[in-house]
Amino acid sequence: MRAVSLGMIVAAACLAQAPKPYAPPRTSDGVPDIEGYWQPRNNGAMYSVLPHPGGFFLGAESKEGVVDGGVLPYQPWAAAKVKELTQHMELDPTGHCHYEGIPHAMYFGFQIYETSKYIALLHENMHAWRIVYMDGSPHPKDYSAWMGDSRGHWEGNTLVVDVANNNDKSVFDMAGHFHSDALHVVERFTPVDHDTINYEATIDDAKVFTRPWKMHFALRRAAADYQFLESGCFEGERDQEHLVEGLATLPPDHYKQ
Amino acid sequence: MRLIITLVLSFSTAAQTPFTPPRTVDGKPDLQGVWETRNAASFDVSEVAEGREIPYLPQALEREQKGGRVDPIAHCGMPGIPRLTYMPFPFQIVQRPGVVVFLYEYLHNQRIVTTNPRPHLEGIDFWLGDSVGHWEGDTLVVDVTDLGDKTWLDAARHTHTDALHVVERYTRTGPNTIKYEATIEDPKTYARPWRIAMPLHRNNQPGFELREQECTEGDDGRAIHPQYRPAPQGDPLEFVRSYPAAKGGSK
Repeated sequence: MRAVSLGMIVAAACLAQAPKPYAPPRTSDGVPDIEGYWQPRNNGAMYSVLPHPGGFFLGAESKEGVVDGGVLPYQPWAAAKVKELTQHMELDPTGHCHYEGIPHAMYFGFQIYETSKYIALLHENMHAWRIVYMDGSPHPKDYSAWMGDSRGHWEGNTLVVDVANNNDKSVFDMAGHFHSDALHVVERFTPVDHDTINYEATIDDAKVFTRPWKMHFALRRAAADYQFLESGCFEGERDQEHLVEGLATLPPDHYKQ
Repeated sequence: MRLIITLVLSFSTAAQTPFTPPRTVDGKPDLQGVWETRNAASFDVSEVAEGREIPYLPQALEREQKGGRVDPIAHCGMPGIPRLTYMPFPFQIVQRPGVVVFLYEYLHNQRIVTTNPRPHLEGIDFWLGDSVGHWEGDTLVVDVTDLGDKTWLDAARHTHTDALHVVERYTRTGPNTIKYEATIEDPKTYARPWRIAMPLHRNNQPGFELREQECTEGDDGRAIHPQYRPAPQGDPLEFVRSYPAAKGGSK
């Protein structure tokens, strides 16, 4: 009874407040101004997009993961391949200093610059960047890339970015979750207050999954004095073999699909 | 005929008066667009050096002879500054108030250059250094320090130490050109600061967009990047003609 009362009070308070949707400031072009440094809340997605234990291999523990519903709808052959990939962390392309791809790059800090014709996203990790063309132009033909090709438009206050032309080499995380070159990602950036953007990505890959699935997490505006530092990676990376050694020391059920 | 004379006159006038660049919303010269060098400086930077000479100290030459012989970019290292500018790949300049952003196609490098003065970072080295910019009239001046000693200025093994200090100058000289100059200083390597200069050309191909250029150790991107783009077409000797001495025909 007491809990119910509390719930009712909270509900009433929320109603009384009549929450107005956030109205972001506008650029000189009249579109929402979401410029700034943004950082995802620590969500462990770089280790695994699914809930995962902590530890050397899977980093910080995450009880929730970032995938809506907590399940990745793999086709049977693909589920088998994920299990195989978890035994071969030396194949993880990010360990070889490659691009993360989208949405993987979004688990790290980045900066947004808006111009009339395009929005530039500079990702700190792997010194990746992408230009999101906002002029209604189509994706290029006969082109595939680690970061794909990004074209965007505004739906109200939401920046919608369509990412096509993805290759089959980037991965979703360090836990073997992969995709094919049929990957198609639709990202939605919705500012909900001055310091927060809700990020949502719809992932479609008919060669690997049985249906599209979604992930979402919050992006926080970084402190005003935050400064990008160079993320150089090609410096003789030698940790791949250690990952394999570490893997051998884990109990067989440590990683659960 | 009259029209032709008028055109000739207007061209000759344009050559004498400095170009007035278009402005960004905050009143600065607009450097935005896709730019590329059309020279061979990334293979031998002495080609674009003033006087075509790099004033090496004797001990630096000796160090260079004993040093590594594999161009660091062969292992996918970032090319450093100023080499990144004259790698044979286009780059895009994005301007927002207080900042000039460089997005390079080559190895997806990026530089965020603040034009609000701040001190350089201390006690740290970067492949591309720490860039702080300011405007001198219509010229963007970028002061680059915190450079490491791992990069070369070109494929011809022109090296430097971590005392390298580069001052770059970007000046619009026409609707489709920027004059790029860099003063290169390294008292552990060179007897005096020396200067390179070259034009940057706007890429005017309709619909041209930068593409992804990725590198795995041991190759230059061809192996994994199907859209590998060869060096831009153009006049490879333009930089030679840009020096008064070259125009005079003597060295």
